Amino acid sequence: MKTFLFILIVISSGAAAGLIHGSMNLIFVEPSLDQAIGIENQHLFASGEEKDTPEFWIKYDGYRTWQKSGQVLAGGILGISVGALFGIIFALSRNSLPGKTDIKKALVLAGIMWLAIYFIPFLKYPANPPTVGDPETIVLRGILYLIFIAISGFGAVGFYKLSQKLKTKKLVALVGYAAFIGIAFVAMPENPDQIAAPMDLVNNFRIMSAFTVSLYWLSLGIILGSLWHHYKPHKEIIPFN
Amino acid sequence: MSQSRQINVSKNGVPVTAIVALAIVFVAGLFVVGFDQGHIFSLVYGEEAFQDLYIHELTHDMRHAAGFPCH
Ligand SMILES: [Zn+2]
Repeated sequence: MKTFLFILIVISSGAAAGLIHGSMNLIFVEPSLDQAIGIENQHLFASGEEKDTPEFWIKYDGYRTWQKSGQVLAGGILGISVGALFGIIFALSRNSLPGKTDIKKALVLAGIMWLAIYFIPFLKYPANPPTVGDPETIVLRGILYLIFIAISGFGAVGFYKLSQKLKTKKLVALVGYAAFIGIAFVAMPENPDQIAAPMDLVNNFRIMSAFTVSLYWLSLGIILGSLWHHYKPHKEIIPFN
Repeated sequence: MSQSRQINVSKNGVPVTAIVALAIVFVAGLFVVGFDQGHIFSLVYGEEAFQDLYIHELTHDMRHAAGFPCH
């Protein structure tokens, strides 16, 4: 395998998909974030912590512009990070992934990873807009989310390996994983926070958030698959004498 | 007389160095966007960083949008 080319392909496909993700968030998710933070501002005015003055809004607008510019940057960072994991698993599992072309193989893996480490954890611990979370429980919520993602991810790998070892059908691995994650889903504690924000806003935010994250995984699969297909980093370098 | 260099590869032919490098990228990036509460800048700026939460502010919107727990 051409090591440098492999890393380059993984990093650039992650960055590209991440920048797409961040840009899509500006369009689809930011309106909900603005709405949610607007509610927070009303709370601040009501409690007397801040005053509804022009100075406040100037400070606020500058602060929000800074945060929004971060959306795309953070999209790139998160995209590279998750893309790195995707690249590792793709390289290790490429030979056993179904599909004739690298693009199909990459899309299959992107679909599996989307389900195991994003969508199932999302169903258990759905995304929340600002104003919902209780600052007191942030560490607990972070740990719960991370643990559930790890359980689901390692569970999927574990059942796949097990079915390989026992030489059973792939369906057996799927059923085993489904039962396993079902139990974990019920056994793990709920998000402790009560939602006081309007449910319309929260649901709209969740749908948009899930939509753009899914778009990220789709882009990642297509881009990495295409680059892999084109540059073939798995081909051996002929060793010189 | 052929002499090939010894390179550590996993059984699928993927270099271990590449896996380790990408794993580090994965963990570092996930921490910065998903979980950092000022820890990284505190290495340079000390306790003040926890008050300012610069990285947190910059990654804040993505943190919500990508489904990580936040405020
Ligand atoms: Zn927040």
